[in-house]
Amino acid sequence: MNSNNLPTFFHRIFSVWYRHVLVYTRNLISNGLPPFMEPLIFLAGVGIGLGKFIGTMENLPYLEFLATALLVTSAMFTSAFECSYGTFIRLEFDKVYDGMLSAPLTVNNVLLGEILWAGTKGFFFSFAVLLIMSIFGVLPLPHALLTPFIGFLTGVMFGAISLWITSFVKTINHFSFYFTGILSPMFFFSGVIFPISHLPKVIQPLAWIFPLSHPVALSRHVCKGEYDFVLLLHLLYIIGMTIVAGFLGFRGLRKRMIR
Amino acid sequence: MNEIVIQVEHLYKTYGSVKAVNDLGFSVPSATCFGFLGPNGAGKTTALTMLYGMCDRDPHPETQVKVFGYDPQKNELAIKFLSGVVPQEDNLDEELNVFQNLWVYANFYGMKKKEAEERIAYLLDFFELSEKKKAKIRELSGGMKRRLLIARALLHMPKLLILDEPTTGLDPQVRHLIWNKLRQLKQEGLTILLTTHYMEEAFQLCDTILIMDKGRKVLEGNPKALLEEHLEPWALEVHEINLSTIPVPVGIRKDGTSSHSVFYAHDLPLLQKLNTQLPPGTGFLRPTNLEDLFFKMTGRLLNEQQ
Repeated sequence: MNSNNLPTFFHRIFSVWYRHVLVYTRNLISNGLPPFMEPLIFLAGVGIGLGKFIGTMENLPYLEFLATALLVTSAMFTSAFECSYGTFIRLEFDKVYDGMLSAPLTVNNVLLGEILWAGTKGFFFSFAVLLIMSIFGVLPLPHALLTPFIGFLTGVMFGAISLWITSFVKTINHFSFYFTGILSPMFFFSGVIFPISHLPKVIQPLAWIFPLSHPVALSRHVCKGEYDFVLLLHLLYIIGMTIVAGFLGFRGLRKRMIR
Repeated sequence: MNEIVIQVEHLYKTYGSVKAVNDLGFSVPSATCFGFLGPNGAGKTTALTMLYGMCDRDPHPETQVKVFGYDPQKNELAIKFLSGVVPQEDNLDEELNVFQNLWVYANFYGMKKKEAEERIAYLLDFFELSEKKKAKIRELSGGMKRRLLIARALLHMPKLLILDEPTTGLDPQVRHLIWNKLRQLKQEGLTILLTTHYMEEAFQLCDTILIMDKGRKVLEGNPKALLEEHLEPWALEVHEINLSTIPVPVGIRKDGTSSHSVFYAHDLPLLQKLNTQLPPGTGFLRPTNLEDLFFKMTGRLLNEQQ
């Protein structure tokens, strides 16, 4: 045997991703059902209740307006969980990365696998929302069929951001700041519940700093079938944010993974 | 002489103001067992992890580290591909069962499905874990976990096995089982590098031991040869009596703490005579062992790292 049989770069990332798939699919019912339940509960709550008071928003029935964003927020929350609490537990408690790093994997391979998995979960959660909402005729087909790919990008971006947060979090309790202090406000002020254009003029540019605003805008445009130049800007933001947060996260986590 | 698998010269690692590893050098020929001994905090684990890139060494102009001819800071993947690592702390994947733990790692090594399945079945059998194939990690005893960790490290038929305290906390049966397996693997040509606190383990397994203290090499050599060279063959151990009144005869070396003394001598009758002067039942005469050597080299009292 010699080191010429070393697995390729893509195989190495795939093998980390595969570990996460195996863990996730081990408890298929408890892991796989909630993403489908959530949109159902949402439909019941908003469709029966709130939706009756609000007619349309940005020329969309309010339920559809919300649903186009829910595709993305579900991807955001699942990937943020995976790469914050999940990553922290694998790093500090279960020592999963210690084991992985004694196999022929580098820190970057392991973390890229994490992000790819966050993207995969984003795709799956968006798909779950899409499926339920389409069954109830809330989302317009076939336009909305592209949205799980936006869910993937959302998952990748929030995976990278969460890895960055995780790289400097000392105890697992600090993640509550991340969720209640950063992700929840984003949910309210990134055009999910009402359009950013309804915010005071001064605050509007701030809302566009929030990472969530861009995939939400992307999803809504795609669902409406509006393809224009501005989509490219949103896409560029997502890619740029992923690279910057990923770079900082990888650098910070390397210090914690390699002694 | 066998081919050299590991060659280390002038290795340093500093954490803050602590010199965890200080000018360490050693070399390990293939198909031998090399053991690091030393108190907790002596730098054994740090030295091991620097060999496969889990720990960055200090930049130093004289440092040279070669494992299979590769430098871990440039070719960590090649080294990891040729080595198996058994960590001190159990890092099995709690979210997967026994088989899946091995299966996932077979994937890390790029093994084909059939090859992986055969190898996993062989290793589970070799370490007497076949019945636990579907068990959750939580259901395993400490000994089973350790065997599974070793099996995981052997999946891809490595040429070098690195074990950090392989039998700490295990009962004698499991310890002997692991020792037998390791001896068998060595005979098959595997190079073994381990750290241990157990003198008996070092004596049973190692062709060469390296005693470390405070990051430095204190002594290196074959365990039996080191004993003969550095230690008297006999020891008289005395517990819980005040010995200040008894003069230490010429030809006897006294060591120990306030409540526990050990007298060492080349001359057995000398110690036997001393023993008769003690209150009956307080002295215990025995041959010296590696532990005596360890104490002689690293001291009997705790230091701040322990």
